[in-house]
Amino acid sequence: MLKSISYCWRLLATALCFAVFGLLGLVSGLVVFPLMRLVPGNLATHRRRVRAVFRFGMRLFLEFMRAVGVLTYEFRDTSRLGRPGQMILANHPSLIDVVFLLAFTPQPLCIVKAAMWRNPFTRWPVMAAGFVSNESTFDMVEQTAAALAEGQSVIIFPEGTRTTPGQALQFHRGAANIAVKAARVVTPVFIRCDPTTLAKNMPWYRIPPRRVRFTLRVGTDIEMDEFRTAPPPKASRVLNEHLLRVFAEELRSGGRPAQEHCSRRGLSFS
Amino acid sequence: MLSSDQILQMLRTAFAELFEIEPARITAATRLNEDLEIDSIDAVDLIDRVRRVIGKKVTPEDFRTVRTVGDLVQAIERLAKG
Repeated sequence: MLKSISYCWRLLATALCFAVFGLLGLVSGLVVFPLMRLVPGNLATHRRRVRAVFRFGMRLFLEFMRAVGVLTYEFRDTSRLGRPGQMILANHPSLIDVVFLLAFTPQPLCIVKAAMWRNPFTRWPVMAAGFVSNESTFDMVEQTAAALAEGQSVIIFPEGTRTTPGQALQFHRGAANIAVKAARVVTPVFIRCDPTTLAKNMPWYRIPPRRVRFTLRVGTDIEMDEFRTAPPPKASRVLNEHLLRVFAEELRSGGRPAQEHCSRRGLSFS
Repeated sequence: MLSSDQILQMLRTAFAELFEIEPARITAATRLNEDLEIDSIDAVDLIDRVRRVIGKKVTPEDFRTVRTVGDLVQAIERLAKG
């Protein structure tokens, strides 16, 4: 009985979170950011302001999700995020991973999938924040490398999409290619979510049997010099293999790997 | 003015340096994707190299119909002229 009350509340709260996210996206994209454009300052200044507000909004949304009880989280060593020319690489177990990274990285530039430019709730915010689309590989590599070179911090999910639960981790080489070209420092962020929630191909209403716990850890910086001895095609392949090993090792060790906890039991409550 | 042979020679050097592919494997009929396993990320590095060699701005659009090394030579010839 208590369990089903908790379940129903979290289902309702999950729906509420989606609604709040959509509303935040529309209001910020159509009202707040356009109004901010009226404040004097050039485009770069405007973008800095937008990203500051963006980060604040994501933090607010994160605390909202925690307050209504859909998740708890722990994010350690966040002070190492947001250094100039830093490339932040994270695994991608759930839909909301990016919320954590955007909430804790000062002045983030995020590579996001092209579909975000076609979604009415996200298209204006991602445009205002000057995020980069993965639609064209060429443009993505060029734009991101240029941003890193000028000292911005970049967030990339090298899987390119959410992790498929139960399958081996795979990274697209784009992230590694950009890293060998332009990153001053590469920092992995390991994300675990237990039980699995909002994974690839999971509808929003299939919520887990208990409240989700996110654990995020900022890993040791990856020394880039040793990967820069060969031309980019080779160097990026070597770096990509190294990154896969680093992530696979971390996610396997330390107890429960997030991916293997895909719960399909949620439906049995409904 | 670059001749087709010069362009092919330049590509052989580029493929050897960037991808460690033996120059003998590079002929006009060689398919980039199927034979040489050049993927979209490799293409970025290849286009970057072409841009530096011919000293002109090039975009992926210029290479959209390129499938073989021969296609690539023609595309570069066109760009170098234009």
